[in-house]
Amino acid sequence: MEEIIKSVVLGICSGGIYALLAVSYVVIYKSTRVFPFSQAAVLIIGAYLMWFCLMVWHLPIWVGFLITCAGGAILGMVVERAFMRPLVGQPILAPIVVTLCLMLLLRGIGILMGQGNIQGFGESFLPLGAWKMGFLHVPQIQVYGFILCAALIIALMLFYAKTGAGLGMRVVHEDHVVAQNLGINVKRIFQYSWVISCVIAVVAGMLLGNIQGVGLGLDANGLIAIAAVLFGGLESFTGAIIAGLAIGILQMLTILFIAPLLPGETTMMAPFVFLLLILFIKPYGLFGLVRIERL
Amino acid sequence: MNINRPCGTFDRNYFQAKELYRTPLRKTLLTLFIVGMYALPLLTGDYGISILTLICAFTIGMLGLQIITGYCGQISIGHAAFMGIGMYTVGILQRHFGISFWVCLPLAGLVPMFIGMVFGLPALRMKGLYLAFATLAAHFVIVYVISNWRSVTNGTDGMWMKRPEVLLGIDFKNDRNYYFLVLTITIIMTYLATNLARTKLGRSFVAVRDNDIAAEVMGINIAYTKVMAFGIGCFFAGIAGALGGAYYEYVNVEWFGLDDSIWYLGFLVVGGFGSIFGAIAGATVWKVMDEFSTLVTPITESFLGGAAFYASAAFSLIFYSLIIIVFLVFEPRGIAHRWEMIKRSYRLHPFPY
Repeated sequence: MEEIIKSVVLGICSGGIYALLAVSYVVIYKSTRVFPFSQAAVLIIGAYLMWFCLMVWHLPIWVGFLITCAGGAILGMVVERAFMRPLVGQPILAPIVVTLCLMLLLRGIGILMGQGNIQGFGESFLPLGAWKMGFLHVPQIQVYGFILCAALIIALMLFYAKTGAGLGMRVVHEDHVVAQNLGINVKRIFQYSWVISCVIAVVAGMLLGNIQGVGLGLDANGLIAIAAVLFGGLESFTGAIIAGLAIGILQMLTILFIAPLLPGETTMMAPFVFLLLILFIKPYGLFGLVRIERL
Repeated sequence: MNINRPCGTFDRNYFQAKELYRTPLRKTLLTLFIVGMYALPLLTGDYGISILTLICAFTIGMLGLQIITGYCGQISIGHAAFMGIGMYTVGILQRHFGISFWVCLPLAGLVPMFIGMVFGLPALRMKGLYLAFATLAAHFVIVYVISNWRSVTNGTDGMWMKRPEVLLGIDFKNDRNYYFLVLTITIIMTYLATNLARTKLGRSFVAVRDNDIAAEVMGINIAYTKVMAFGIGCFFAGIAGALGGAYYEYVNVEWFGLDDSIWYLGFLVVGGFGSIFGAIAGATVWKVMDEFSTLVTPITESFLGGAAFYASAAFSLIFYSLIIIVFLVFEPRGIAHRWEMIKRSYRLHPFPY
């Protein structure tokens, strides 16, 4: 029982990043109706940018953080303007192929940036060590990461709820044509959502790079987060957050129960088997919209 | 029905209406093309034969994806993994049971067909994007099973495969003879795929692609159609995998990463959706690019010194993805559409339309 509680607590801590990533997918999907597979590789770019700032240019952490966020924002803006905007109104396949290819393009840029090696931040920028609470050992690096993720998600929710641009984005989530008729610049909103999503993904990349080492393997986390998005429902922020935490717990439970039985990377595997199960049982996820089509 | 005909060509009976190639000119060109493909190894060396063999094998795989994605509109991001199942089916049957290649080859199509149908089942309840997720998951599950079921698949070390045995006195150890075999199978598969598009099943694929609700109203069994599209597409992929793997006489799980599945989809776009010519063009462009990037590697090496190992990997990723993205942005209908336009402007020559 103790083991299970431990796994659940650790799972929630590591699930924070999955929740953040899932939100970054949902931000774009909700407003543009395009699923951005490329966000998995934005992680790599973010981690390498932070690595450059800290280890190559020897900047302070907060400057590195700001530069990386700015880099993510510029990346999102460029991607939206150059690649996604010409495809507005094309059949669903075209944007999917473009985002998939973007994933590989960014991966290639990542290889060039990191020269194909796995790098470390040298010294972690979040405190190491663990808090002990009875039988629980909670690593601080995970907890601070979780807090940062939660803060970002809350900031995003406040942006949606309180600001004018957020209101516009919520209108675009409902319907593009209605939004356009109300005088909202839908293209601008698309750009906002790519920028927001890329900044989120870049921050998640930094945190993951801090934990796992900066390398090309980071995009696996982004792909795992796709399982979370689907479990929560493609259109739901609440769903994304809950499902992100659930995927974290699932991975930790996999380490506990399934990893001793099966060889290989079971933690990578379990979310995808879970994804297939969701698709068979409840394809629209927990809070997804079930669209009813008419001829 | 076919608007791309010279004027004055009319169908006077059903046999004429059913013909694949109606005019003598097209028949002659097709015959010349096929004869030319058989004659090409005389001109090119061993290097050319290796490229041609790969182009043929990947054309079969691309035709499979054309059936799934181009005809039926179901997006598959796991096509390379199904190709891998085909390779491993032949490898496992030869290694553990010593079965002849000629028996393995149809099985290499049928096993991926069955597995593809199972993974295609989520398609029954939904469309488009969700199927992309299912096939993405399928890709990871398949690669996981292959790389970890060591007793059967020999894990990540890969395993040896044998080329087909001597048949009718032809020894397929010779690369040129093997190319003739692959080319023959490619022609048969292309013929099958072309005809499939004209059968009831093929027509219902297109109907489901264009609007599945409308198709259902017209009395098409959508579930059956979608699963069949998946099954047939994966059958083609499996055959392609078996032929490609047997060419190298070696299989490895590294050969069908997620990248390859994405390139499959991407170069299908470059070739053109919904046409057999598009699939062939896509596979050809892909493999020629492959050779181009291997040719460029020594040049990058001289530029970058010892760092070329990562640079060539990055170069091919960036180069391919940029080509696909540029094609999608500027010519979303691919090479096949451009070719049709050239043909039409030739036919209508002095007039614009």
